[in-house]
Amino acid sequence: MLFSRRTFLAGAGAGASVVAITGCGSGGGSGGEVTFLVDNDPNNVVATELLIEAFNDSQADYVFTMETRPGGTEGDNLIKTRLSTQDMPDVFSYNSGSLFQAIRPAQNLLDLSDQPWVSRVAEVYPPSVSVEGAIYGAPHGGSNSGGIWYHKPTYEELGLEVPLTWDDFIANAEAAKSAGKHGIIQSYGDTYTSQFLVLADFHNVAAVNPDFAEQYTANEVGFADDPTAFKAFEHVEQVTQGGLVNEDYVSTTLEQALAYLAGGEGAHYPFFSSGMAEIKATHADKVEDVGFFALPGDDPETNGLTVWLPNGIYIPSTAENQDAATAFIEFAVSAEGLAAMAEGAQPTGPYMLTDVELPEDVPTAIADLQTYFDTDGATTPALEFSSPVKGPNLENILIELGTGSIDARTAAERYDQDVEKQAQQLGLEGW
Amino acid sequence: MRSKVRINIATALTLLVFIVVFVVPFYLVVNNAVKSREEAAALDLTMPTSFHLVENLQEVFAARDYMLVTALFNSTVLTVASVTGMVIVAAMVGFVLQRRRSRINGLVNAAVLMGLIVPPAVVPTIWVLQSIGLFKTLPGLILVEITFGISFCVLLFRAFMSTVPRELDEAAIIDGCGPLRLFFQVILPLLKPTVVTVIVVQSVAVFNDFVHPLYFLPGEENATVQLTLYNFMSQFSTQWNLLFMNILLITIPPLIVFLFFNRQIVAGMTSGAVKG
Repeated sequence: MLFSRRTFLAGAGAGASVVAITGCGSGGGSGGEVTFLVDNDPNNVVATELLIEAFNDSQADYVFTMETRPGGTEGDNLIKTRLSTQDMPDVFSYNSGSLFQAIRPAQNLLDLSDQPWVSRVAEVYPPSVSVEGAIYGAPHGGSNSGGIWYHKPTYEELGLEVPLTWDDFIANAEAAKSAGKHGIIQSYGDTYTSQFLVLADFHNVAAVNPDFAEQYTANEVGFADDPTAFKAFEHVEQVTQGGLVNEDYVSTTLEQALAYLAGGEGAHYPFFSSGMAEIKATHADKVEDVGFFALPGDDPETNGLTVWLPNGIYIPSTAENQDAATAFIEFAVSAEGLAAMAEGAQPTGPYMLTDVELPEDVPTAIADLQTYFDTDGATTPALEFSSPVKGPNLENILIELGTGSIDARTAAERYDQDVEKQAQQLGLEGW
Repeated sequence: MRSKVRINIATALTLLVFIVVFVVPFYLVVNNAVKSREEAAALDLTMPTSFHLVENLQEVFAARDYMLVTALFNSTVLTVASVTGMVIVAAMVGFVLQRRRSRINGLVNAAVLMGLIVPPAVVPTIWVLQSIGLFKTLPGLILVEITFGISFCVLLFRAFMSTVPRELDEAAIIDGCGPLRLFFQVILPLLKPTVVTVIVVQSVAVFNDFVHPLYFLPGEENATVQLTLYNFMSQFSTQWNLLFMNILLITIPPLIVFLFFNRQIVAGMTSGAVKG
């Protein structure tokens, strides 16, 4: 007995000394190296690994390493925590638009307005990473778009054409339904996917009222009282109550929805163009079977795409090695850097740099997006990039609407109320 | 006759509940861990058409430069050290608190209770860790884990101390026992049932902790096992087969511990029951 107690104590002591040793080992690892913090999306991780490798090979002064963080709310909290404890790695990637505004850029980030690459950035991008005229971020990779995925073989079989108006779109969905397929796939199992019929409709709203974003920020219009904006809510009601959606839409997940689409069980799926990465990884042989078009509105003349701008790459004002950080960003927006990233994960939409083209081997669905970008006035950044007002509960409200608990009018009114709280928290004028 | 039938129904129900609660989730994990990415994306309970056990295993281990190996090591050190610290410190506090009545007892009790109630604040905690140079170090996180677990442990130890007769301490002191020896050789062995409870509860809590390592121990080389799950799971894309394989792998260490110490755990609990 006595012996066993002795060994227990000795064991505890040995354990404590091991802790002390490993503590020293892991504590001193930050010298000489520069860290780039990115979110943990698998495609992003692969692309970043190659980008860092290419950068480290291209020069001899700095050695970069990658660190990952979760996305979503947890990622937001982590970014804010690390900024306020002055523990942010020297370069990091984070959302542009309203989430960017929430991390107090003027106080926490380094002003990059005088960087040489700024003049090459497409006109649409800088406002989403600027505060009072100063630019704080560089575009991280290609853009993303919201719209409708469709199954090409189904379209050929039924002799359908890519719709330019909402009514044509519904007619196509009806035709697919009569052919025994899901007209429109919805996947409320991943709640955020419920929002695309509303969020991706913003190009159509802005086509009718170009000042919508400004008026919305100033509380002059809302989704319930603007007839064009309200249509998106009616659309959700129409497709779910009209029986055009898959029967299990309440519990379907994103992965299942994309499997329906790639396998041709469903004809349409409203989602990001970045869904291509998942289709490619999971259904590699079906990549050319899917196409992508902008969410159609009422007027075929103004048909166009709602674009999600890429994340920004930022440098915190507390960065220890600013020269390394700026050199890295310059490389990340160069044709060479973008090519390195594309080798790991292909871009999900055109780049935000005027002099860099998409690689030639991207799937047709993504390459076709360039047409929208090349047409004047056929792209609009999503509302969340031009207005800081975005309510946190849109997905929940749309699920209530989509499952028939409330009607379109109530849903739009509830969303306007939801937004009100958030706008008041931001301290905007007019709320 | 009648009561026999009833017992059988109860047994059957228990079995059913057991299957639903324990076997089905485990089956889901194992089943999906051996599937290909395409099949696992459907997220159902059908049998896999082809087995990818070795590939998935390799991929999970090799991901991000063998992060899982580092993470298993870190988590083991973290769990062993934090639980050891909690047991020793909390047992000492419980011992003193129960044996020696003094004026600060009320204050200490209030502090223990506060430890249970007051929610942890991340940013100020990081400031404190930074100012003493322990931020981003394993010892720093160990101290954080001990802090968050200690209130609960003190309550357990204090309650159990009252069942240990004071005469034992007195006899030991008369025999010439010093305070440290009294605690480690007389009292701590008698607290074994509580020690076992604390080890079981806290090691599971620390090993499965996600939030504290995320905020207090950032950096690739500092990963713990729960953070490795995020290698395969992200906002827009999840590799379910690898995710489930990872879950399976990080469930194994606690399982081994329980298999090895099963006898002691049961013995500890029953000895407590008889004495209590």
